[in-house]
Amino acid sequence: MRRIPPLRVVGRSELLPAPIREKAMQELDFPIQFELVDGIEGLQRVVTRPESFDVYLQWHTIDLIWTARSIQPIDMARLNISAEIIAATQSQAGASKVIDTVFDKLFMQPDGQLGRNATQWLSMLPMVHGVDSFGYLEKIQEALSPGEVASWGWLLDPRWAGQVALVGDPVLGIIEGAMAVEAARGRSFADVGNLSVSEVDEVVDTLIHKKKIGHFKGVWLQADDAVRLVQRGGVKMQTIFSPAAATLRGLGVPIVISTPAEGCRGWHSDLCLSAATTGDTLDAAYDFLNWCQNGWAGACFARQGYYATFPDRIRAHLSRDEWDYWYGGIRAARALPDPEGKICVPKDHRREGGSHRERMSRARVWNTFMDEHTHVVRRWREFLEA
Amino acid sequence: MTIGAACCYVCVEHWPDIVLRPQLDRLTVTIRKAYYQIVRELLASNIKAGTLPRGTRLFVAAVADRLAVSRSPVKRALELLAQEGLVRQDAALGYVVGNDADADTGTVRPNLHLLDLHLPGNSSEALVVPRWELILGTVERDLLHAIPFGIYQISETGLCDHFNVSRTVTREVLARLHERGVISKDRASHWIAGPLSARMLDHLHDIRQIVEPAALGQVVGMLVPDAVKAMRARADRALESGQTLSEGELARIEADLHETCLAPLRNPRMMQVVRNSQLSFVVNQLFATHVVRHDETAMLLEHRLVLDHLAIGDGAGAAAAMRHHLDADHLRTRERLKVLAIFGDPGQAPYLVRLV
Repeated sequence: MRRIPPLRVVGRSELLPAPIREKAMQELDFPIQFELVDGIEGLQRVVTRPESFDVYLQWHTIDLIWTARSIQPIDMARLNISAEIIAATQSQAGASKVIDTVFDKLFMQPDGQLGRNATQWLSMLPMVHGVDSFGYLEKIQEALSPGEVASWGWLLDPRWAGQVALVGDPVLGIIEGAMAVEAARGRSFADVGNLSVSEVDEVVDTLIHKKKIGHFKGVWLQADDAVRLVQRGGVKMQTIFSPAAATLRGLGVPIVISTPAEGCRGWHSDLCLSAATTGDTLDAAYDFLNWCQNGWAGACFARQGYYATFPDRIRAHLSRDEWDYWYGGIRAARALPDPEGKICVPKDHRREGGSHRERMSRARVWNTFMDEHTHVVRRWREFLEA
Repeated sequence: MTIGAACCYVCVEHWPDIVLRPQLDRLTVTIRKAYYQIVRELLASNIKAGTLPRGTRLFVAAVADRLAVSRSPVKRALELLAQEGLVRQDAALGYVVGNDADADTGTVRPNLHLLDLHLPGNSSEALVVPRWELILGTVERDLLHAIPFGIYQISETGLCDHFNVSRTVTREVLARLHERGVISKDRASHWIAGPLSARMLDHLHDIRQIVEPAALGQVVGMLVPDAVKAMRARADRALESGQTLSEGELARIEADLHETCLAPLRNPRMMQVVRNSQLSFVVNQLFATHVVRHDETAMLLEHRLVLDHLAIGDGAGAAAAMRHHLDADHLRTRERLKVLAIFGDPGQAPYLVRLV
């Protein structure tokens, strides 16, 4: 065991599931201290106190933390996955084609800005990605017209008044709200991932009105709350993340992840190094980064529905049935386990949306801080408090 | 407030000054003194210093004319001075300096304009600036430092109470802020400030990008070469140190290029447009306050490039370098504004009520 202070790793609970935390602590020869921070406090801390962490799992915050210089560039020479990163950057085919966005801000350019031209320095080490949409209980299908396809407009549809919940995070919420307003009100926003001030106002005003007439049953911030809302809160339709859907299925709740006609909301999460980390701790941080790319961790993420950015590495760590279900979009040949080994996919279930490639190609918009983010945050708070 | 400080308040009119000068930045102007108080203190200090000698006859109209203020505050000031015994009221002569008629060898009624009085500011400036002017800069600064964090309603009553001024004064202040586009009225007719949006920064940048380089081009021949050299040296030192700039250093370096260099500009309207478009200072300053490791290398390199052109008297080059700097700075400011969004309210002036 190396005699160094514990490596401090900060991230959301979905991105640091217990099996990964335990395995990393077993296999790496230095102490690690994981901190799960789901709210805005995590980001605030990363921006204001880089000395309070060593590794951060960024989730659509790369612009902000790079602007604030709270992270340091990652030296490709110290990574065991550099060749694959360069290959993926250059090929623009296969898995890397559908997650093109990940490469937009991957490399530090000579002027200190982030860009896609390959250099020795990475802003972040790509880890996992996925697409999200809303989920609904199977019985919702009974109320559908023949041939009706899922639409973000359903979130505002009076047919399900009082039974809908939304995600409480402003970055995700405003994007989903915008897609719902587009579909429900026949609007078309120039860029649903970067709304203007007046478009933000239109979306939030609509949501506030709906909230006041009792359309929404709740708003959730953490995966547990999303599960609770469906289990006990009378919610039949809501934004949902894969792990929460898996939990619900494990509990026997028949939840369907929608594949909305208007496209899905893509996201990626990546590993970043604190600007303040140096010396032995920096060595340990690089070891942790390399460990995360060993394939085992990616396989663990696959079992909660997340895709590894370099899937070839994890293939060996998944059974054939698992690979076929999670990546291939093929019916489960048997009941499949979640990261903790509990059954979360029943036999014969087929993942909504299909294969990795098919699902990722439906990403219409990626989680991002819009140019008018400040305004989004203020108005979103107004919605939450309405 | 001392009388001498009154001349500082004239500067407060221009918010970029406030933003850029740390010593003024912390200034909170709470005006507790009326005009007559200012006149009273001014007369008292000149009497005590002997510049208004014993026996000098002070007629209200003549004093008002000398100090370039209206008569009523002079009248009230003289009444107070009489109560305090610094002047006496004489039925025939009006007010006379000194309280003992018997001690006088005779009263004189000099042309007050011939007396070399100790007055703040230079003689061509009005002694007492309008009260709205005294608080305008502070209110504008308070608003600009609040709106990156939300949308605020301005309480008119709160404004009156905070500055101890009348409704007439606050209305004047609000009207001017409205003119400058800092505040607007909502449907319920409340004064609203914010949000500071990327769109607002874009609009101001469009203007600034045209006007500021042009202004710089006009002042090239009027700059003191040594002053430009000193600014260049300051930017160099900051670059060489490799350290994060302190708020004071950052303010100083920004002021060098965007304020001091433009100071010789002879067109006051143009100057006003430039100043009103320099909102990015506020964002950059707040960013430096909240973010420990802010990196200003790019800004310093851009500044240095402009200063190099100025040093050799190359107006067109300086203007082009300035345009490049303003464009790059605008992109940085937009990114930084997003970062500010994750911070809570740092606490605002008591007359601002946060709406969102």
